[in-house]
Amino acid sequence: MNGFFSNTGNILFAAVFAIQFLAIVFTGLKNDRRALYYSNFVLLIGLVSGLFVTLSSKLFFALPTGPQNSLLNNWIRLDGLSFYFLFVIQLAAIPTTLYNFSYLRHYMEKKIGIKNFILFYILTIISTQVIVIANQAVFFLVCWEVMSISAYFCMILEKEKEEVQKGSFYYFAASHVVVFILYIFFFLLHHQTGSWFLSDYHLSFEDGAVISTIFILSFIGFGIKAGFMPFHFWLPQAHPVAPTVMSAFLSGVIIKTGIYGIIRTFLFIKPVPEWSGWLVLIVSMISAVFGVWYALAQHDIKKLLAYHSVENIGIIGIGIGIGFIGSANNLPAVEFLGFGGALLHTLNHAIFKSLLFIGSGIVCQNLDTRNIELMGGLVHRAGYIALFFLIGSVAISGIPPLNGFISEFVIFTGFFSIAGELKNYYPILMLIMVVGLAFVGGLAVACFTKVNAIIFLGSERKEVKHFHTTIYDYLSLGIFAALCIAIGFYPAPFVEIVQRVIAASFNIQPSSTLINMDWFYLSAIFGSIVLGIAALLLVKLWHHKKYGSRVSGAWACGYENLSPRMQYTASSFADEINTISGSILLYNKEIDKSEKPFPTPLKFESHSRDFVDRKLAMPAYGFLKSFISKIGIFNQTDIRYYIAFILIIITIYSLIAFLWT
Amino acid sequence: MENVLSILFCLSLFYVSLTLRVKGYIAVLRSQGIILAILLLYPFIYDFSVYGVIIPLTILIIKVFFIPRYINKIILDLDIKRQVEPTIQQMTFLPLVIASMILIFLATHIISLITKIDVIPFASGFSAIVVGIYIMIFRKKLIVHVVGFLIMENGIFLFGTAVASELPMMIELGVLLDVFVVVFLMGIALNKIRSSFEGIEVTQLGRLKD
Repeated sequence: MNGFFSNTGNILFAAVFAIQFLAIVFTGLKNDRRALYYSNFVLLIGLVSGLFVTLSSKLFFALPTGPQNSLLNNWIRLDGLSFYFLFVIQLAAIPTTLYNFSYLRHYMEKKIGIKNFILFYILTIISTQVIVIANQAVFFLVCWEVMSISAYFCMILEKEKEEVQKGSFYYFAASHVVVFILYIFFFLLHHQTGSWFLSDYHLSFEDGAVISTIFILSFIGFGIKAGFMPFHFWLPQAHPVAPTVMSAFLSGVIIKTGIYGIIRTFLFIKPVPEWSGWLVLIVSMISAVFGVWYALAQHDIKKLLAYHSVENIGIIGIGIGIGFIGSANNLPAVEFLGFGGALLHTLNHAIFKSLLFIGSGIVCQNLDTRNIELMGGLVHRAGYIALFFLIGSVAISGIPPLNGFISEFVIFTGFFSIAGELKNYYPILMLIMVVGLAFVGGLAVACFTKVNAIIFLGSERKEVKHFHTTIYDYLSLGIFAALCIAIGFYPAPFVEIVQRVIAASFNIQPSSTLINMDWFYLSAIFGSIVLGIAALLLVKLWHHKKYGSRVSGAWACGYENLSPRMQYTASSFADEINTISGSILLYNKEIDKSEKPFPTPLKFESHSRDFVDRKLAMPAYGFLKSFISKIGIFNQTDIRYYIAFILIIITIYSLIAFLWT
Repeated sequence: MENVLSILFCLSLFYVSLTLRVKGYIAVLRSQGIILAILLLYPFIYDFSVYGVIIPLTILIIKVFFIPRYINKIILDLDIKRQVEPTIQQMTFLPLVIASMILIFLATHIISLITKIDVIPFASGFSAIVVGIYIMIFRKKLIVHVVGFLIMENGIFLFGTAVASELPMMIELGVLLDVFVVVFLMGIALNKIRSSFEGIEVTQLGRLKD
């Protein structure tokens, strides 16, 4: 045993998971409140100690060399990539679990049973952690299934609502498709290598078309989970109906397991040919551009954030695509930049997306609606929530002082690095990509300007009697916001971590650094930006003191009878940009114009529907449904017919297998 | 010895496809449990080890004593009629079983030419799986479905011993756990169903569909 993974390391590692499993025991308590407090507290202890164990591993101090660390007959194996994702999961899960304390209290007041939710929440968290360290294909699939299904059970907390049933079914169906594809994926891998261990899979594209099939299968299978654009349709349906804790975890962490899968597959089959890089790059660019564009057209805050997940997964995918192109052309520096950007953005997205979901959850719970058009003026009710939400918004838009900028900056540098290394026609193509990514950033700024302005500024559209917040809300949001600021202002240690992960797992020479620049300059520039803003603030205060200030209602430009309806609305803010691509966004407006001499009440509605959902997925499903319902024998309700069908299918399968051999 | 036990196992399958009494089904479950336990215990007569005896003993306790008793208790508690209520004639059911068994034995023989397997245990296990499924398809009573499922589990067990001489610990435990869960779930389901339905027939489960 080398280094950290001596026996002490194993015992510590087992203890972390044992503590987390212990949390399940406490959900058996009779009293809901006690079950919530005890089990969540134990889970928190497990996660925090897990984070410490992960951080104290050799990976974060020095480059691990020598044989890989494995436990339990090689069923669990820890390399750099596993450690990094374990770190991301545990980091994001801690504040989310903290928010659980305040969020579930609301349901307890409504007398909704929450014990099942806590149980499956714990299971989801544990299985997600195990996925990234599993080294045996069947074990991986089992954990994957446990994660998907327990997340589904978390989602149906309010199962009597029809929208919850519909939205969570989308998720359930998508997860099943993923597992089905992954079965084929692992069988092909097993067929090629004759081993069930992930660490034994070393293939190369020269082995023939089957490797391309494996790559495509992994991209589709893990891509559905991650939410790349043609396969994203379950995300905007499932996120709004899930309880906020679950949508934060789903968006922040679970979809990252898809990214983990894609990168893991890359490690099996590297070096990849160039077409795969372009495939990933173009699909990701489509996800990024249209993800944010769809987000702009939404009124439902959680749906909007779900589309932003699609956008950010797209940005991560762009990084992976750059890495693939670098790998195809044997350019370690480009590979470093691409995968570095992707991994860094994975961490950043987990942080700020959880922050935004939890912030929106607090707002939704107090206003009892998810519609942005009914919110407004909340900055006067909950100033700190508004501040935290603003920090998250700035981070997700990729604006300089915060963490979103750092990872996007690395990805931009990757584009320029490809253009510099491979001359030929590459600079033109990369220029197009750069413009695309910049466009995404611009639309994200527009979208979050809309969200912040409509929700927190202006005057109140819906009467809020009492805006209830607890210490846990501020605690979990505060941790996330602090991380956003920390990574933004002092990225050096985090860049260092990513650099070590790539050097350790991807077998790239450690000599090539992520970016040939001193990250201290970045910190200095950001510091001066903040100082500048502070100076302006001082000037403003000084002005107020000298000349005095005048206070009036928001948007009251000299009007007497101020009404909340005179404000800009979310639809009117985004209307112009949505009409540009109305046909793809399926954006339509219904205006009820009155022709009568005397004015009557007018009506205006605008909707945007998902193109893939409405034009591809649903028609396909409808066709399948109508086709099957025409076959009378499939309409039986008796369980014995189902068993007979199973028998027939098994017979057919065994016949095929029999004839095959 | 393995072959003799496997043939006994097959005979019990014939009995189960002929009898009309629920009690006969339970007796078959008991005998199959004993056969499986002896099958697993047999190698340890010459080479005793405590570790290896654990699994056969657990099977003996669970499959021979616990589960049949539990099913008997359900029958007594819920006052279920002692007849199995088949949906097809016994004289049609038996040829079906025999035909499938012949096919399975033939197929197994062909497979055994390619790979190395014990023909008789493998085919008996396979037949038990098929017969278990047949019982579930062609019987009305829910309690009989449980028995069908258990026979299927026994078949999988025998099948497993035929394929690998030494079963991995995880699979063995998994099989036992599966049986446990199913019996308990069905027991609970039966209790609940009685409170809302008149009889305990599978045909009425269709009404649960929304």
